[in-house]
Amino acid sequence: MLSEKNRTILFMDQGVHLAPIMSGETEADGVTLINVQVRYSLRFKPEDRVAVQKLSKIDLPEKIGVSSIKNDKMVLCLGPDEWLLIADLSRKEELQQTFERISSKFVCSVVDVSHRNTGFSIRGPYAETMINTGCPLDLSIRVFPIGRCTRTVYESTEIIVLRKGEAEFHVEVWRSFAPYLSHFFEKFMMDVSVPQRETGGGK
Amino acid sequence: MTGFRKTGCGRIAEAQVIHFTFDGKKYEGRKGDTLASALLANGVHLMGRSFKYHRPRGVMGAGSEEANALVTFDRGPGRVTPNVRATTLELFDGLVARSQNNWPNLKFDFGAINDVFSMMFPAGFYNKTFMWPKSFWDKVYEPVIRKLAGLGPAPTAADVDHYANIYRHCDVLVAGAGPAGIAAALAASETGNRVIVADEQNELGGSLLCTPGTIIDGQPAWQWLKESIEILKSRQNVTLLPRTTVIGYYHDNYLGLVERLTDHEKNLNPDKPRERMHRVRAGKVILATGSIERPLVFAGNDRPGVMLASAAQIYLNRYGVAVGNNVAVFTSHDSAYEVAFDLSDAGVNVASIIDVRPTVSEVLLEQARKRAITVQSRAVVCRTQGRLKITGVHIAQMQDQNIITRPTHIACDCLLMAGGWTPSVHLFSHSKGSLKWHDDIGASVPDLPNENAVSVGACNGTFGLTAGLDEGAIAGGGQGKFSTSATEFGRGQTWQALPTDRDPSKIKAFVDFQNDVTEKDINLAIREGFKSIEHVKRYTTTGMATDQGKTSNLNAVQIASKAIQAPVQQVGLTTFRPPYTPTSFGALVGYRAGDMFEVTRKTSIDGWAEENGAVFEPVSLWRRARYFPQGGEDMHAAVTRECEATRKGVGIFDASTLGKIEIVGPDAAKFMNLMYTNPWTMLAAGRCRYGLMLGEDGYIMDDGVIGRLADDRFHVTTTTGGAPRVLRMMEDYLQTEWPELDVWLTSTTEQWAVIALNGPHARKLLEPLVDGIELSPESFPHMAVREGTILGVETRLFRVSFSGELGFEINVPAHYGRDLWEALIKAGEGYGITPYGTETMHVLRAEKGFIIVGQDTDGTITPDDAGMSWAIGKKKLDFVGKRSLDRADIKASGRKQLVGLLTDDPDIVLEEGAHIVATSGQSVPMTMIGHVTSSYWSAALNRSIAMAVIKDGRALTGKSIYIPMPKKTHEAKICSAVFYDPKGERLNVV
Repeated sequence: MLSEKNRTILFMDQGVHLAPIMSGETEADGVTLINVQVRYSLRFKPEDRVAVQKLSKIDLPEKIGVSSIKNDKMVLCLGPDEWLLIADLSRKEELQQTFERISSKFVCSVVDVSHRNTGFSIRGPYAETMINTGCPLDLSIRVFPIGRCTRTVYESTEIIVLRKGEAEFHVEVWRSFAPYLSHFFEKFMMDVSVPQRETGGGK
Repeated sequence: MTGFRKTGCGRIAEAQVIHFTFDGKKYEGRKGDTLASALLANGVHLMGRSFKYHRPRGVMGAGSEEANALVTFDRGPGRVTPNVRATTLELFDGLVARSQNNWPNLKFDFGAINDVFSMMFPAGFYNKTFMWPKSFWDKVYEPVIRKLAGLGPAPTAADVDHYANIYRHCDVLVAGAGPAGIAAALAASETGNRVIVADEQNELGGSLLCTPGTIIDGQPAWQWLKESIEILKSRQNVTLLPRTTVIGYYHDNYLGLVERLTDHEKNLNPDKPRERMHRVRAGKVILATGSIERPLVFAGNDRPGVMLASAAQIYLNRYGVAVGNNVAVFTSHDSAYEVAFDLSDAGVNVASIIDVRPTVSEVLLEQARKRAITVQSRAVVCRTQGRLKITGVHIAQMQDQNIITRPTHIACDCLLMAGGWTPSVHLFSHSKGSLKWHDDIGASVPDLPNENAVSVGACNGTFGLTAGLDEGAIAGGGQGKFSTSATEFGRGQTWQALPTDRDPSKIKAFVDFQNDVTEKDINLAIREGFKSIEHVKRYTTTGMATDQGKTSNLNAVQIASKAIQAPVQQVGLTTFRPPYTPTSFGALVGYRAGDMFEVTRKTSIDGWAEENGAVFEPVSLWRRARYFPQGGEDMHAAVTRECEATRKGVGIFDASTLGKIEIVGPDAAKFMNLMYTNPWTMLAAGRCRYGLMLGEDGYIMDDGVIGRLADDRFHVTTTTGGAPRVLRMMEDYLQTEWPELDVWLTSTTEQWAVIALNGPHARKLLEPLVDGIELSPESFPHMAVREGTILGVETRLFRVSFSGELGFEINVPAHYGRDLWEALIKAGEGYGITPYGTETMHVLRAEKGFIIVGQDTDGTITPDDAGMSWAIGKKKLDFVGKRSLDRADIKASGRKQLVGLLTDDPDIVLEEGAHIVATSGQSVPMTMIGHVTSSYWSAALNRSIAMAVIKDGRALTGKSIYIPMPKKTHEAKICSAVFYDPKGERLNVV
């Protein structure tokens, strides 16, 4: 949409600043705020799904709670006629062209929600437990396998949880709720960083 | 004095001496002790004063059922916990605890005068006495009673600890890690099920911890326990949670578990949470919560040194502490004999076993004879002796509840009582499982579960080690084929109150030790006509202390049953409610303490407002800048300045919190027609319209400016607070009433930062920054929307005005909000750009008579009431609320209508909410005809203005009305609510 010549001089700020403790000890653990991405809420009739998929070359999962992840593009099926597409910022123009093609052929709604949400990447052996500090869902891998996604709550905040790996989750939350959510994560990181208690088995 | 510490007994590290302080005195204990066991090892039984009579009290039990030994646990400022049971307080080096409810000290307590005058404090005394004079209740009686009666003082400092919480899921939750629970967990976890085992104690093992002599499957009990726990620990699918109390059992196998993390640690790490609440959803719950021994009810049964027999066994075998040197045992159950034998074998003299039953099993008698312990059957302790500690008991023979011999005295320094066992059915009862009465054990046991729950072991009335292990294993999905050396658990009788040789009106036989309820109190309640245990409980307060009657409920029920001469089932059982044991507020709050209690939503521009001294106000979950005081301005001065600057130059306002919904699809206009009162079909793309939304009842629910971006795309705005309910209502109608419409709704509130520029200079300021949008009035008229870029960022630019001035609302993707705001402030310097807050926004809109839904409307205002019939599409066949507008009472006269008010004294700013009357000088109660909804000082008009809803108000235009206030009645005239620029010319400045 924006051509090279009038690229803006304004800066983007997602409004979340994570404490150093959140970064974890290695690459493989901790919480990071994901850089600004493009996000679209895609709505169309379920019966058009296959045709839209064919035209757009975007994988659109059929089942609610299932996601497709390809390279830098994730599509989460959140409802019978609702998909959330998250992709790298560089995809914006290409995606907008795709959506124009879809919109001209199908009854649909494409809404840019790039700045509505912020995304967190949560990685490490405590990832599941961390989300479970406020999310009442059973996130164990046998119930919530890799690729599974859902709209749910964390305490009283609506979030979207996507499992990207055995110990890796992507969490989406509305912008103004993000600092609040990250404070819970921060408190949890402080708790797990103190020496573990002696008794107690399992995890 | 450590003469009570028995070497070779117990599980605690004898060599690890630690020090602690109780009531300022230093004592020695051992690592592994509780405060109670350590004090007992020092020969200290006296640990507290009772609730009502201030009677000296010693420790009665050894677990969470303790009713007497409540202490204040002091870890420094912000870490003082009153009413901690000494029996559950784990000792660490340096622990400080204090006794409670006494003055000047524990040994000499002035409040004990209550005991002397106890005849003045029968059950329900506060309902009978202290009624006169009435005024004395608040100032004298109640504060004095509060001071004298009670528990430890509530802490005054804020809790400095933090608390954690987590949700967990498991296939099997085992509550209680005694033998039955461990057997259940072993069996349940074999198949890979996720198993959580929670036990309130620091060590898993339950009753096994005090029965080291038993053999299980060929192994000594402690060895079996150790190996079993090793097995459980080694299984990845098992989570063991010691120090974790299952506090409540709720619907659908949802349970609350509180884990204590730091109270037992010597070195307190302030970063570590003190407690963690586990909210567990379990597939199946195995309740293995054991049972609690029951006291006997006899005269003087609360003397320090009188305690439960089972507790003595725990102190001896688990903590290596003898509860006395010369111990008498008073029992109605076989189980006390084993305790007496253990004590005797550890070198403690057992003065006598006094058994109320006529016959005692020959096996037990033989065992007693071997140890030279005398057993008196059909005997009763008819009273006890001693002041701060028991010194002896009087024993008599008994027949048919009557004493038939002259009491004989024997000396003792401790009296154990064993009145049978009460299965702990609390959690089962929380889950609404039904109970059934078992006469043979004199207790209720689980009957039909209401959840997928199984009770095993003693809590199910299944007493005896082998039976408990087997039942546990079977419940866990295994086979119960345990062999143990444990003898038959034995039998017993449960009793009501036991006879005394003294005047029954002068003695006290306690039923509820914590709330100081005696057998007499219960009988009095029955005499006064209370027949149900629920009433008896509330009248006498039996079972209503923080221990919820763990040791008293069944004695109370049986006494009541005898007095009413009705079976126990008819008297009823009290209801158990969570939490099982007292629970800290911190654990319930978890991470959501302080600022975390509720989210404070902030816009992308909030940080700038904060840095520039804004005063904030909460608007639903958002915080919004209310005004920007400069150089010590108060609100009035700041708002006056902000209003003037906006009307004369240009003001800048953060409107990001406005709700936004994108409505997209070929049926978008059709949907809009149905949801809003206004017509949308003819609205051209690129134009805006004010939209009014009603509820089904025809009353105004929300409003906002709506832009049509394309034939099939609307950009809807809602009020800040209304955004969620508007979207919810729209979705509700779309999905249930008009599913055939091809339209979708997406919340975009947070997608856009919205910056409003208002004032004559707004266009000039904006023009050089915007690309792709022609801003001239001809091509961009009032109530239009355009898409383009501002400083290179995509924007949806609205030309709208909530101030009456030339106005623009710049929507940009939210992450750019702050940077754009700062760029506009910079670009506007030359125009005197002034940031303003919600207060100025309110004044500017009120000057123009624009309503705020929720302030000028209250859920009973129709469009016509608000003077907004113009917003209704007259030709529309339907919209939400249309039918209600035809109701007779909506069309009738006499409805309150929105009008403007001008006070006769222009300096008077009326109070919002003030009532309005038609004439002055009415006597109270006056006839109210309406109230003030909005009221401000208007800088533009240099006088006050107000809006109000008044019965038939529009017809009264020009008339005077009156606003009676405490000091003065104000007079005002009804006028149009459009106070400023009624022709709207200011919108058109070029």
